[in-house]
Formats: sequence, structure tokens, C-alpha cells
Amino acid sequence: MIAVALALALATAPELTVSHRRVVTDDGASLALARYLPPGGGVARPPVLLVGELGFGRPLFDLAGEGLARWLASRGYAVYVAELRGQGAASPGGSLRAWVHLDLPAIAAVIARERTGPVDLVAHGWGGALALAAAGRELPVRRAVALNTPMEAEVPSALAERFLASGGHFSDFAGSPQGAHDFELLFAMDSEFPARTLATLRVRGTRDLSAGQAAEWLAWMRTGDLPLDDGSSVLARLRAYDRPTLLVLALGDGFAGPELCAPLRDASRAAVQLRTYSRFETGDDFSHVSMLLGTQAPSRVFPEIDRFLGAP
Amino acid sequence: MAAVLLASSCAATRFVPMPPEAEAHRAKTDDGWEISLTRYRPRGTPQGLPVVLVHGISANARNMDLDDQHSLARWLASQGREAWTMSVRGAGDSDGIDEAKGRKPPITFDAFWQRDLPAAIRLVREVTGAPAVDYIGHSMGGIIAYAYLAQGGREVNAAVTLGSPTRLDWGTGLETWLGSIAPKLVGADVMVPSALGAHAAAPFQSLVDDGPFQRFFYNPQSSTTQSWQRLMAYGTADVAGGVALQLLSMLDGGKFRTFDRQVDLKAAMASITTPVLVVAARLDRVALAPGVKDGYRALGGPKEWLVITRANGARGEYGHMDLVIGEHAAEEVWTPALRFLDRHAPASLTAAESPAR
Repeated sequence: MIAVALALALATAPELTVSHRRVVTDDGASLALARYLPPGGGVARPPVLLVGELGFGRPLFDLAGEGLARWLASRGYAVYVAELRGQGAASPGGSLRAWVHLDLPAIAAVIARERTGPVDLVAHGWGGALALAAAGRELPVRRAVALNTPMEAEVPSALAERFLASGGHFSDFAGSPQGAHDFELLFAMDSEFPARTLATLRVRGTRDLSAGQAAEWLAWMRTGDLPLDDGSSVLARLRAYDRPTLLVLALGDGFAGPELCAPLRDASRAAVQLRTYSRFETGDDFSHVSMLLGTQAPSRVFPEIDRFLGAP
Repeated sequence: MAAVLLASSCAATRFVPMPPEAEAHRAKTDDGWEISLTRYRPRGTPQGLPVVLVHGISANARNMDLDDQHSLARWLASQGREAWTMSVRGAGDSDGIDEAKGRKPPITFDAFWQRDLPAAIRLVREVTGAPAVDYIGHSMGGIIAYAYLAQGGREVNAAVTLGSPTRLDWGTGLETWLGSIAPKLVGADVMVPSALGAHAAAPFQSLVDDGPFQRFFYNPQSSTTQSWQRLMAYGTADVAGGVALQLLSMLDGGKFRTFDRQVDLKAAMASITTPVLVVAARLDRVALAPGVKDGYRALGGPKEWLVITRANGARGEYGHMDLVIGEHAAEEVWTPALRFLDRHAPASLTAAESPAR
């Protein structure tokens, strides 16, 4: 009986093709790029590139067969999930600036060999803010969905400051109840998750930052900006940012608070649509990672992304 | 069982009288309305300037003195700070609309900062001899301070705003409803009977777990159902249609303007040089943190920003009302507020030189 049900499920499931490749940057770093192709190859729409938070790997978008990557691919998008240096299977983290100047151009070049035209970008958190800073420059972008991507850099909380000041060791969250508690406060904040999702993400979906990355990230928060190698800065680039954008804010995001992300609407040159979730309306305030892996993400957040990216 | 719970719930909503030391005062505005104020004299050695406490929309002065365990006014007095609560016109014991006595509608938000607050500050200074006051406003009470100071209001030495937004357009489903439906239902001259609804619903709050009030106004991590019930029972007031319509204009591109739409109050906030501490609650679903931060950004400065959240040391997450009725608000919200006011005390004002008591 079980075998019959399994066979039926496999027979009716969308046949996604997932492939993995290495991407080598100009300075020799190794990045990971996963491609999720729907039946037919998803050629009718621009490819979608997913760039997640610093320290988080591909499981943020694909954990145990669930997540935004497969969800979008099952709706006809060709989806790419990038792991840049310091994330997942990529080389250890160097400077955050390398994301903008080296990693994203290398990822863009690989995608360009397979697809014509710019990508649609789904950017998440502080790492996503770096991707937005590269949009239209190192990374050709048609439109973007920004999931709690800060424009106004600020230390979000004393706990976040302690985490980065002590080196950004995500592994510290995995070893104790206190670690699990702190991880919940920073990244999950009372949101609902499917069973074991949060614990699995904490253990398998994160990676320790390098000392340099942690220090640079904290300096970005403390000073309000991250200087880049070409004389510009993340803040200057976000002010000039002009791609049509859906900015999704999670009220319960304690790591990239919505108050830090909202200025993109007024302080950039982009046409920004705003969507904010709160428990009053949706039963969940959403948090840093529940926008991607929470119980309600597939029913609340993902359809909004699909609507925005799929609009003419 | 339900009957027992309901009976218990009704008992929880009983009116808790003001403490005997509370002194009732009335201030006369320059347009002839009387504003109710309550004075709480400091205990021990007087410290600093008197603090004027102003409540939010659909509320009254009892938000600042709910009962002996939840009272910003009494807590300040216990710290040596004289406190004064006030109810804006149309709320609490202050005058409401009475056309026979010349008090005509509409009541607008502008009347609060143009008429009521100046009258209150004048009275406090007259009674205490203080050269100026400090200020703490919750929700709309903080916005009143923004408008007052932005338009040149004086005699406020330093201010703290708790959950006070200056824009409301964040792409939530609620604002879509408010922006499209509410203006059609509410006229400027009417009083929306929100207090009646709160009084009627108060006894039932303990029967509902995770109900809409709880989801919107407070967080059980930080406030008890009993405190919330008391607030509903005697801490609420009807909302003037003119006030609702004026503040709802914050849904229109985040504008914060006078009722006649002629003055951009938010732009004028850049001229404020009074020190302001802006406090937001991470899980405030009424005054969303980005809306509160919008006000912080608009201020000229000096200014400070504080988010109340467990990641900053709070024992629970805070919603909108927890900032004034939370079980640990004295330690987690009011203490940093008082420290801010103390840091900005006039250099010339020592304890020995505190205003006459």
C-alpha cells in the first residue's frame, strides 16, 4: 500500500531537475551554485537568483525538500541558489566586499552562459543587501524581491552585537539549550515552523563566519555603512538602486529589523512595493528565517513573490 | 464553568480607584475647554522637573495609572519625580463636546497640541514653580509632543515617546481596510464609541485565548489579561472622528499633517532641538517599529533610539500597550526613560533647586 502511494506520488510530482556546480572567482575562491529546473527548463521567464543571509547556506531555500527554491521551480521558474564565500559549500569567508566585487559577478557570468537577459533576484537579510548593492552593476537584475534587507545599517540588538563581537560562531547555537534560545531570538522570534525545521537549520544550515567577516559585518552595523573597493559604499549604492522591488518586512525580525529595511522605499530611486506581516493579520509576525522556512511561508510569502516576479 | 470564569473575569475588571495621594486639577485652554490633570507628588527627595504623561488614542489618563502595580505616574513619584497625568479633550474627565456650552465639534488632533498640552504645561508650571517640564507620551501622546515641539512649543526640557508612529503605510491588510473603509464610515464631527465596545468586551477577555485584542494590542509574555481587562474597563475613551481622520492621513504616503493639510508636521520635526528618546517595541502591531523609527528619523536631535525586545534584555516581547501596563515595564521601559530624562536635566537644576513642592 505504501509502495503504491509512493509510486503515485512520484508519478504525479513535478519533475524538477536539481544540479550543482562549482564557480571559481577571479581570485580563485570556490562558490557553489545549485540550479532547480522545472519541466521544460523554465525558459519562459527570467531566471531567479536566490541570495541568502551571511552565514546561512542553501538550506535556507531548500531544507529537506521544502523551501522557496523548489516552490518557485515547481511553478515554472528556473531557480539558482548561490552559496557565496562563507556560506554552505563555498570557500571560507573573506571580506564581505568580495561578495559584491568578485562573487556575484562570477555567479552572474555562469548564469549568463545558460540564460539570456538579467536575473530576477530574491535577496534576504544583510547578505541580500550586498546583492542589492551589486544589482545593475556587477549583477544584472531585472527586478528584485527584498526579504528584510537592511538599508540603514545599525546594530539590531545587544544579543546580535555579542554574537558578532565574539566572532560570529553559528556553531555556538547548536550545542546548548541557551544557544538554541539565542538563535530563536535572533532569527526565529516566536514564529511557527514545521517540526524540526528550526533545529535542522541551526545545525545544518549555518556555518561559522570567519573572524574577518564577523568584524567587518559588525563594523558595517556600527558605522552605518560598508565601504566598497571602488570608492563607493553599500549605502551609496542602495541610494542609487533603481530596480523595481517588492520589499517584504517581517515584524518579528530581530536581526534585520523592519525599521532598518523600510528606508529603501524612500531613500532609493527604486519603485518599491511594501508588504508587512503581523500576527494580527496573519497569525504570525514572521522573522528573519520564517519568511523562508516558516509554516506559513508557502501560503503567505511565496505567492507574493510569485505574483511580483510573474507580473508583466 | 464558563459562568464561573465569566464571574471571575467581571471581578477582574472592577474599577480600581485612584490613590488617595492623587490630586485632581483642571487646566483651562485658550479656547475654553477644561482639561483634567492629576498630580502625583514625589516621594523622598524631589528630583528633577515634573513629568507630564500623555496617553494614546482611544485612551485616557488611567493608562498612566492603572492600579498600584501598573502605574507609570506612581512609579515616577516613587523615584522622586513629580508626575502629572492628563486626559486630552473628549477623554477621561476632561471636557467633551457640548455645543450648548460652546464646545463644538470637530475635535482634531491639532487641538491636543495647540490647546490642551499648552494649557497643561502652563498649569503644571504655575502649581509647581518649575521652569519647564519633562514629558513622556505613549502612542498618540508621543505624536502630540512631536507636533507641539515642531511648531515651536516651549517649556519641554526633554521627552520620551513610547510606540509613537509618524507613518502607518506598511503594506498590511489592516491598513488597506482602514484607508478604504474607515473614512467612509467616520465623520469628523462624530465620536466613535470605542470605549463602549471596550467596556462591553472587557469581561470576556479571559475567556478568549489568542483573540484579536491580544494579537493587536498586547503580548501575554509581558502583560496579564487582568491588566488588559482593567485597561479596557476604565482606561479607554471614545475616539473623535476628527482625530481619527487626521491620523489616518498617515496612511496616505506616510504624511503627518495638520487637519487642514496645510502644514507638514513631519518636515517641521527637523527643527526640534529638544532631546527625545524614541522607544519602540519589537512586536508592536499598532505602532510598527518602522513607523516609530520614521518619527525618530524626522527629529532634529539630540535623540536616542531604543527597541524593547528580549534580544536587548527584556524578559518578554512587548506589544503596544505593554509599554505602559507591562509586568516588567518599570524595569525594562520606564527606567531607561527616566535615565534619559535625568541625563538631560538642566545643568542649573540640582535636587536642592528642584521646583517648589
